[in-house]
Amino acid sequence: MKVNAREFAREYTLLECIQCGRCTGGCPVSMKTALNIRGLIYQLLIEDTFSPASLDELWDCTNCLTCTIRCPKDIRPADVIIGLRGFIVGEGKGVPPRIRDALMSAFTRGNTLGFATEDRDSWTEGLPFEVKNILDEGQADLLYYVGCTPAYDPRVQPVTRALATVFYEAGIDFGTLGVDEVCCGNEIRRIGEAEGFASMVEEFREVCKEFQAGRMVTVSPHCFNAFKNEYGELPFPVQHYTQFLTELIDTGKLTFRREVRKKVTYHDPCFLGKHNQVYDEPRYILQRLPGLEFEDLDRSRERSVCCEGGGGRMWAEGTNVEVRLAHQRVRDAVDLGAEVLAVACPFCLLTLEDAVKILGLDDKIQVMDIMELVIQAL
Amino acid sequence: MSDEKKQPAALVLGAGIAGIQTALDIANAGFQVYLVERLPSVGGHMAQLDKTFPTLDCSACILTPKMVDVASHPNIELMTYSELLGVTEQAGMFRAKVLKKARYVDISKCTGCGDCAKVCPVVVPNEFDVEMADRHAIYVPFPQAVPNKYTIDKRGWPPCKDACPAHIDVQGYVALIGQRKFAEALALIRQTIPFPGVIGRVCNHPCETACNRGQYDQPIAICALKRFVADWEKETEPLPPVEVHRDQAVAIIGAGPAGLTAAHDLALYGYRVVVFEALPVAGGMLAAGIPAYRLPRSVLEAEIARIQALGVEIKLNTPIGREGNPSLEDLRRDFDAILITVGAHQELQLRIEGEELEGVVPGVLFLRACNLKSHGPAIGLDLTARKVAVVGGGNVAIDAARSALRLGAELVTIVYRRSRTEMPASPWEVEDAEEEGVRFQFLANPIRILGRDGQVVGLECIRMELGEPDASGRRRPIPIPGSEFVLEVDVVIPAIGQTPDLGFMGEGKLAVTRWGTLAVDADTLATNLPGVFAGGDAVSGPATAIQAIAAGKQAAESIHRFLQGEELARPPKGLPVVPYEEVDLRRARKQARAEMPKLSPDIRAADFDEVELGFTEAQAVAEAQRCLNCAFCSECRQCVIACQAHAIVHDMQDETVELEVGAIVVATGFDLFDATLEPEFGYGRYPNVITGLQFERLSSASGPTAGKIQLNGQVPKDIVFIHCVGSRHKQVDVEYCSRVCCMYTAKQAHLAHDKVPDARVTVFYMDVRAFGKGFEEFYDRVREEGIIYRRGNPSEIYKRGDKLIVRAEDTLLGQTVEVPADLVVLATGVRPRDDADRLAEMLGLERSEDGFFAELHPELRPVDTRRRGVFLAGTCQSPKDIPDAVAQAKAAAAGAIVTLSQLRRQMDEMEDGGEA
Repeated sequence: MKVNAREFAREYTLLECIQCGRCTGGCPVSMKTALNIRGLIYQLLIEDTFSPASLDELWDCTNCLTCTIRCPKDIRPADVIIGLRGFIVGEGKGVPPRIRDALMSAFTRGNTLGFATEDRDSWTEGLPFEVKNILDEGQADLLYYVGCTPAYDPRVQPVTRALATVFYEAGIDFGTLGVDEVCCGNEIRRIGEAEGFASMVEEFREVCKEFQAGRMVTVSPHCFNAFKNEYGELPFPVQHYTQFLTELIDTGKLTFRREVRKKVTYHDPCFLGKHNQVYDEPRYILQRLPGLEFEDLDRSRERSVCCEGGGGRMWAEGTNVEVRLAHQRVRDAVDLGAEVLAVACPFCLLTLEDAVKILGLDDKIQVMDIMELVIQAL
Repeated sequence: MSDEKKQPAALVLGAGIAGIQTALDIANAGFQVYLVERLPSVGGHMAQLDKTFPTLDCSACILTPKMVDVASHPNIELMTYSELLGVTEQAGMFRAKVLKKARYVDISKCTGCGDCAKVCPVVVPNEFDVEMADRHAIYVPFPQAVPNKYTIDKRGWPPCKDACPAHIDVQGYVALIGQRKFAEALALIRQTIPFPGVIGRVCNHPCETACNRGQYDQPIAICALKRFVADWEKETEPLPPVEVHRDQAVAIIGAGPAGLTAAHDLALYGYRVVVFEALPVAGGMLAAGIPAYRLPRSVLEAEIARIQALGVEIKLNTPIGREGNPSLEDLRRDFDAILITVGAHQELQLRIEGEELEGVVPGVLFLRACNLKSHGPAIGLDLTARKVAVVGGGNVAIDAARSALRLGAELVTIVYRRSRTEMPASPWEVEDAEEEGVRFQFLANPIRILGRDGQVVGLECIRMELGEPDASGRRRPIPIPGSEFVLEVDVVIPAIGQTPDLGFMGEGKLAVTRWGTLAVDADTLATNLPGVFAGGDAVSGPATAIQAIAAGKQAAESIHRFLQGEELARPPKGLPVVPYEEVDLRRARKQARAEMPKLSPDIRAADFDEVELGFTEAQAVAEAQRCLNCAFCSECRQCVIACQAHAIVHDMQDETVELEVGAIVVATGFDLFDATLEPEFGYGRYPNVITGLQFERLSSASGPTAGKIQLNGQVPKDIVFIHCVGSRHKQVDVEYCSRVCCMYTAKQAHLAHDKVPDARVTVFYMDVRAFGKGFEEFYDRVREEGIIYRRGNPSEIYKRGDKLIVRAEDTLLGQTVEVPADLVVLATGVRPRDDADRLAEMLGLERSEDGFFAELHPELRPVDTRRRGVFLAGTCQSPKDIPDAVAQAKAAAAGAIVTLSQLRRQMDEMEDGGEA
């Protein structure tokens, strides 16, 4: 399939590009793979038609958004990648198999991981309280949107439970969609499956008519990003849990009694930081945990580096598996003298923890979600 | 042309190269020019540059002759450190209001010698060196400044000075202590109060509550620093007696802090002063009320001795109007003015049953007995094995309780009707008392003193709860019915407040308030009787020592004005207070406040030795250096002492002048882009990422490194220049090309190569715009010198080990590269001045989309504006280099000259017509 490059360039405002190279220069995978977004844009500017099908490196992009926040002309190179992926997905040929599996599972089972739909609330097992189903009761002050990985992945489930526990302890009236919760589609959209994503949005908006909620809080920055920015207007505001916890701390509803005597640094998840500028709240929470010593990494906030878990990369290794950004990230944290590398994203948690294991640094550093530290301090 | 004829004048705003050139051209055409510059010196950005492009001339060398010319030109009136406030227009003439900011230095006297800056203790980053070097609060921005006159950078009053009732120059003495100038610090305190050792101990220090550093981490330990310098002075050298040079005499009734401070000030004015004191010691509550463990007697006595040494006579044991001593009326006859500072020494009664019993001792009397070891009340001074209840929550109650412990009491309980947070006593005193073992019964109120055989055996109390806030803003205590309980005690010390004892007045005619204090005019402290003034606790009711001292100062000033026959009301004092938001935190680092060393509670409760031990010298200096210098100038007055030309005027006021002009040329220049807005480059985070202008200062022979390219003494081996920082960048709202950066970077790359020949110099560029005369040739030259030009604008900078890593795509290679660097120079772009809005509104100027002032027509009217008679010169219109700025300045001058010539012709015609 050929892309009409002229039309594409106009649709994505590429004509403004001055070929400065800031997008590729900041792209975390540009040094390890053939992906060169500036070069792709150049080709789209000079050619009449363009064929993306054979470009394996298109699947290397993690959608970390660095290219986009660096672009001096307000072009969105990350969206160019999604657009080009869309042509491949539409064609059906050239999609990496594991990404295809994730797409299939999302549409058939409501989760990207291939798990059974009816097990979606299995994370609640062992909680000393009942989690209400907002569809049964018709309303709750807070809709707790759990997300696929937080619901099913055994490494992430404790994080999911910790957040529910904080809600419970703070006396929040909260509920989930139970087994009727389906994937948010953030990664689906980033894989380029625009139509499938649009129907997910439609379905969710229909479900929303069946209950009332004061707000929605998510575990994952990926779900947060989708609902906040890509679902149109929802009947309730959407927050990442770090934002909501900051409110709880500020209003005195969440207080800490126990010390967390650890030196901690923090890795900014791309979909929380670069996509949504939530930089302060996670640090605010960490710095309020008694006994905790916090220090930032050199590359932090808008200068942070992706862990390589986004944009579909949770399921596809990409074209160069030898070099992993998560390894450098973990080494930087160890060099800083941190005992804990804190994150606020299930994908970051999994990729960085893998890196710690592969590097054999388990005795030096632990990767933990902020929720896991919070629960220790209660 | 006759000199008598009135010449229309021009106003030139901004004295950078464009403003200077315009002013010179207009002045040379024979018109008067007012050249108004915001900063203390003319010169603008060009004065900061090392070399000019493309000729590589020394920028200062070609600029300074012009700077000198504008200062010495007979037709130019130079107004530096001045700002336009507004303009009105009438019949083709403008009336401009210009603010001449107080520079606190009389520039007609200042010789520019710099003796003042040498002694100034306040160091701040120098704007002229783009914060790569420091300057003092009194400064000339650079050695070639015109005029070569000093300016004091005074931002207002620091909150410490403002909060102090006596307005001591707190920031001043703290700064001096930070410089180990202890004698100077002590002298500065003594310029305001005669009791540094006393106040350094007993003050409730509202200065520390107000201290801006409290909002940053913790307030400066101001009180303890004052004590440190007072203690540091090993032998008090009394001042030589002041010669009485005025023949008037003042009588002061009461030798407390208010009376003695007034006596001190009045003696220095040259009056004869006699202080009458009822007690056998001088010091008032400082001597009779405050226990020695808080204020050793020797400290108080030494400071009183210094006051006596000025010639002040203190008559002890002389209660006025009693025991055959002179009455108030006698004093009024014998003295020219009277000050009543009798304090508040009468304890209020509890007004409950049993108050007459043996063992009930009013707090003030109890403390007086302890402190004076005389005037003994009904109990002895041995409280061994006795149980004591002290009633009240103020400092007197705490002092009484802690003294009782020291006299051997077995158990001391403070009974207070509200809760701990409402206690008027200083919280640190309450903590000390608690540490020593004093017990507290909060929310309890005595209702009866129980007696047996005329002796106290207990205190019956009732529990209280807090209701709605009362007039004092504190929550009103309400008794809880049925909650009565009994404390078994044999001594009860009521300490619930004091009132002045005004018995001395006899059937006096002095007006009294309904609270039993003396009624005075709050501004002048004058009573209703002419020549009789009053202050301190006698007027305010029980208050702090520093408030009494402040009242003493105020009274002395009023009495002086009265005796000189002047208006009693004083002119308002003070400058606006510098709020925390305006404090310069660029150099601030978090650092905890120094802790006051104390005797341990178990040792100290046994006797009256001083509890607080004072700072060591190292502690004091380090603590003083924490000061944030809120107001920049600390008013330490070292400059006043150092200046042989007597040019320093600390109370100088801003001044507004009105100018009538026929033409206005705006030459207000540009601001540099703030590189922290592109955080990916780490500016402000990595000290070796600097801006182009900072590179100019590094490279300049008059700069912080005397022209050496080095940072912290290190010569960089890898130097990277980055084009287009804050230019052509929508996300930071700068869509235009700044036009000068390509070429200034080429010049700087050349200088870097020239000064560090073995350095690897890389320039990252998007395009190289070499459009001017000699520009392309220069670009060729630098490449031939071996400067590496790589196409691609870097995306980010981070650290790896000791090196910075510049990450970019080399777009010609299509490869992402990591280039190591020791020094990165950001070619920051040019922005409109941040106050361009204000000026545009004042002058009725339009602004183009880029924010610069709009010319009337982009091609054909490049220096005219929408407003007739107002012209544009230099970078305020758009980014431009020096040759273009000068060319446009000359064009603007020509425009102004045409307008002025027309006005002159009109004036001449009117004059001729008048004659005809």
